[in-house]
Amino acid sequence: MIYYLQLGLNGIIAGSTYAMFAVGLTMVYGVFRFINFAHGELIAYGAYLTLLWSQPPFSLPLYLAILPALAITAAIGLAQDRWIFHPLRNSKPITLLIGSIGLSYFLRNGIRIIWGSDLMSYGLESTRGMRFAGLTVTTVQVLMVASAVFFLGLLYVILTRTLLGKSLRAVSDNPELAGVMGINMKKVRLTVWTLASVFAGFGGILLALDTNLEPTMGLTNLIKAFAAVLLGGAGNVWGALFGGLFIGIAENISVAFFSPGYKDFISFSVIILVLLFRPKGIFGILEGVR
Amino acid sequence: MKKVILVLACVLFLVSGVQGSSLASDVVVGAVTPLTGKLAVYGQGFQQAMLLALDEVNASGGINGKDMKISFEDNNSTSKGSVSAIQKLITINRFSVIFGPAASSNFLAVCPIAQQNSTILIGAESAAASISKCGSYVFRVFPSDLLQGRGVAELVEYLGYKKLVLTYVNNDWGVGLAEVFKKYFKKAGGTLIDEFAYDEGKTDYRSEVLRIQKDSPKAVVNLTYVKEGATMLKEAYEMGLKVQWIMGSAAKSPKLIALAGKAAEGVIGTYPTFSQNTPQYTAYKEGWAAKYPGKKLPIFGAYNYDMVKLTAKALAAAKSMSADDIREALIQVSKGYMGATGNKTFDANGDVGATYGRWTVRAGDIEDYK
Repeated sequence: MIYYLQLGLNGIIAGSTYAMFAVGLTMVYGVFRFINFAHGELIAYGAYLTLLWSQPPFSLPLYLAILPALAITAAIGLAQDRWIFHPLRNSKPITLLIGSIGLSYFLRNGIRIIWGSDLMSYGLESTRGMRFAGLTVTTVQVLMVASAVFFLGLLYVILTRTLLGKSLRAVSDNPELAGVMGINMKKVRLTVWTLASVFAGFGGILLALDTNLEPTMGLTNLIKAFAAVLLGGAGNVWGALFGGLFIGIAENISVAFFSPGYKDFISFSVIILVLLFRPKGIFGILEGVR
Repeated sequence: MKKVILVLACVLFLVSGVQGSSLASDVVVGAVTPLTGKLAVYGQGFQQAMLLALDEVNASGGINGKDMKISFEDNNSTSKGSVSAIQKLITINRFSVIFGPAASSNFLAVCPIAQQNSTILIGAESAAASISKCGSYVFRVFPSDLLQGRGVAELVEYLGYKKLVLTYVNNDWGVGLAEVFKKYFKKAGGTLIDEFAYDEGKTDYRSEVLRIQKDSPKAVVNLTYVKEGATMLKEAYEMGLKVQWIMGSAAKSPKLIALAGKAAEGVIGTYPTFSQNTPQYTAYKEGWAAKYPGKKLPIFGAYNYDMVKLTAKALAAAKSMSADDIREALIQVSKGYMGATGNKTFDANGDVGATYGRWTVRAGDIEDYK
């Protein structure tokens, strides 16, 4: 029994990080109507830039290194928009999609050039996890769930309690109408990209704290996030949150029944099944609720 | 504008053509090496060790006065990438000798292609037992798993574990090694409490560790690489799993300790050993320190170094640069050849022999287990 509970707990922890990635991905989709395949690279850059600032010549303590790292990650996100996606805004969705795939290769290989392909870590000593009622969690894992709750809570406040959030939702409902109504599109664009980048970057840092850094870390997690986005219905922020948690829990529970080597098939099966039977996500009925 | 692009394209095409065929005065050998992708962790080290050997070959006169060169082709650490890389090296560059890719799955993917095209393929780090059956043009300077699987089983018997959990990387190498291990382990009267394979290259193996923890075994045989091994050790430590970890040679690297820290303490493993007191090994070590100051010796570096040196010797001795003549020469010069990694005499399958040593991690260092 403890075994299953621990699996479930691991699922929630993994799922809360997936949710942070998925929420950003789905927000970009909601407003700009394309899936940004370079979103995964924002995850990796968040982690790698923290490594950069925590090492000589800067040698900042890890918690301080996060700040410039997130700022640069956000700048990368904004630069993606400024020089690639914004100029392409009137092209077909497929053009944007291919543009984002190209960009993802470009950024990923940038990591290889700067930091090499070698596996890296922040070099923190591993510590025994905390145990209660037979379940084990590490400090980093607690931090992962706590930050997911914090960031998603922050997002909730922004989306529902601020004018900016309202304009964001309006744009995602109907961009033309929102523009006609005088909503400042530029502000919305900046907000969406900043939020998406910071969410991805911070999630990447947590992931690297929990495990290691490697150039393909973004890509691996992008697939999970993508499955979560589809599950929740593309563009639906709360759907993505739910989707992330679902994927995390499902793939961890699956370990009890399949060889752990096949864990990743869960997210791929979800992608295929959702596309086949519920192309609008399982919240399809509630479309418009964002 | 169009004209400019056309001209540029032509120039590029010509330049790439020249580079591929290289100068007629050079002896060029191809290499499929994982420079990107998940094996790039090791690939850079392989390449540096090969380049070191190459420098030494050329410094001492090259191949009968001609410079030896290696034309590296990246395989992105995948079998698909390996196949396209070797096809380019065989059909476009027309090399007679190619250094094969690391990871048995990748090596096995390209060995039929080399065999069909009568091209010599040499491996320096692929251990799968099935590579012995690849064919007459395929050689390796790295010992087969048949030897290592047995070595791990003997280690387990020596340590006195009758019941344990077996887990391994889900690829040709891991599965093949596990098969050989199981055969000898069961023969010695051992029983497996659980057995499962896991994906390579993941950053999180908690579920796997949890599955081990469920059975509370005393010992776990984990046939794994550095990255996967280190992540598992670290997570097992965090989760409070206390077992004796037993590993193979692929995990024996200072990087394992760098990544897993104190969680790596006490791991015991086997590795194909060779005396490090030979002049050949000392020459390799000193050469490395001179060419790459401050860099640690890479895993399997010495094998790559031997592969290049042995090949150079065969190229110099061959009657012509045809694959058949080089193959003949390779078998001849390997007889009694002592490299940095010991005796490299090829048997009928193109395999070399080996003795197995035992390693352990003590106080943050890899030591011989006694």
